[in-house]
Amino acid sequence: MNSLIYQININFKRIILRNKRFFLFDMMLPIIFYLLYSKVLVNGIPQADLKTWQMNYLISMIIYSCLLGSIITVANTLLEDKTSHFDILSRLTPLPRWQYYLSRILIFMLLNLISAIVICLVGILVNHLTLPIANWSLIILISVLGTTPLIFMGILISLANNPATVNLLNNIVVFPLAIISGLWWPITMMPKWLQSIGKLTPTFQISNIDQAILHGKIINSHYIFGIILWLMIIVVTTLLITKYQKHKELNIE
Amino acid sequence: MTSIVTVEHLNKNYGKKEILHNINFNVNKNQIIALIGENGAGKTTLINILLDLISSNSGTVNILDNEKDFKERIGVMMQQNISITRITVKEILKLTQSYYQSPLTYEKIIELADLNDLEDSKMDKLSGGQKRRLSFALAIAGNPDLLFLDEPTAVMDSQSRTKFWQTITDLKKQHKTVFVTSHYLEELETIADRIMILQNKSISFDGSIAQLRELEGESIIEFDSILLPDLFKDIPEIIDFKKVGDHYKFTTKNAELIIGQLTPYLNAINNLKVQQNSLDSLFVNFNKEGATHE
Repeated sequence: MNSLIYQININFKRIILRNKRFFLFDMMLPIIFYLLYSKVLVNGIPQADLKTWQMNYLISMIIYSCLLGSIITVANTLLEDKTSHFDILSRLTPLPRWQYYLSRILIFMLLNLISAIVICLVGILVNHLTLPIANWSLIILISVLGTTPLIFMGILISLANNPATVNLLNNIVVFPLAIISGLWWPITMMPKWLQSIGKLTPTFQISNIDQAILHGKIINSHYIFGIILWLMIIVVTTLLITKYQKHKELNIE
Repeated sequence: MTSIVTVEHLNKNYGKKEILHNINFNVNKNQIIALIGENGAGKTTLINILLDLISSNSGTVNILDNEKDFKERIGVMMQQNISITRITVKEILKLTQSYYQSPLTYEKIIELADLNDLEDSKMDKLSGGQKRRLSFALAIAGNPDLLFLDEPTAVMDSQSRTKFWQTITDLKKQHKTVFVTSHYLEELETIADRIMILQNKSISFDGSIAQLRELEGESIIEFDSILLPDLFKDIPEIIDFKKVGDHYKFTTKNAELIIGQLTPYLNAINNLKVQQNSLDSLFVNFNKEGATHE
């Protein structure tokens, strides 16, 4: 347990506290987007709908931030661990592998939690959004827990083991996912066929659960099962690829 | 003697290419064993198999009786340096200590690896030699009984190297076992109890430096004399004969015999010197005659 606490402490410092990329990319980019589309470029939105738009877009940006953190930061951090030989150092010590991954997953979730809280604070302070504290907490919690499949997607991408491939995969996954799941613009603006694909994405499903909490509606259980299904598919794929790579490494190198 | 590493009939192929063939050896406690071989001979592959990082195609490896927690008792300094961004030397050492049940104290690690004044430095800002010392610190953090050192002194300055080997000698006095590979053979010569030469995929020599000398050693005999070269030219077992002015230089594998032959002329011989070959040249000779040792 002592080593788990040490790992969480060190990983917090290197992945969150001292990581400029996290502040600039995972947190500032969604905040800039949010301020731009909810405060500056709002001329065409009727005053009566403005608050709803600001609230809906806040949720989109929370999830967008978690998407960036979960995929780009996770994939790059785990790749860095390999290229810097941190990974092999851990493998040569008595540290159990589950502890190695658990300490990182907890930090990645904390990273998403911090981003979500900061974006909510921007909404409260800049756009004067109001919600009961329980609703804020629930939206943040659902966003962080709901993006767990995306953390595993980041882990899966990191298995490419090559910086160029990892960057390419990050871009192939993150930006199309953000667009087709309606995080940047409302999904209704897209063609029907693209909307049906977008509705299958985990980011759309989390967004819908958050919207239901926001507007006091009943949460559609399909979306909860959808996220669980995504989690299972990505975890199983990650395990299979890890096993294949281990086999290849042991026998062929 | 207690054997803490046993390797039997070990074979390793990468695809169709054979890398290691029928490797057999034991490592006894409290020894410094040097594994030497040319680049690409398979030294790192062999170490990686011992550490269970890659598997062999056949054969058995037994380290510390294959105890479940054998990683508690080994320390490894890999050929590659560990260089993690946004972490200080102190933080990575404390983290590594936390992996073990009975680690060395932090102060002891710093002292042994000579990392004073670098504790608050970021790992990725260290120089090559400093990174090497940090890798050593990480290897000894768990207070291991068995240390694997793969090219430990590469890129270290000469002062750091001297201090490093002194530390290794001290660790041996504390009953540690050290398994080391290095290209700096002159350094291994002074500390290794045993030399293993990996050549043509197999261990072609396994013994002490004295035994290697017996097998391969050439000595250089030098002296000054005004005597004519005809007196010495026909002495048997001289491999190389040189005379510059009054200075003679013979190379031989049997220095004792040559000295015996020179005895009648000792009155007319000055500055007689007998020099034994270094491990470096023994290794070169051994490699030249590679096939004959198989």
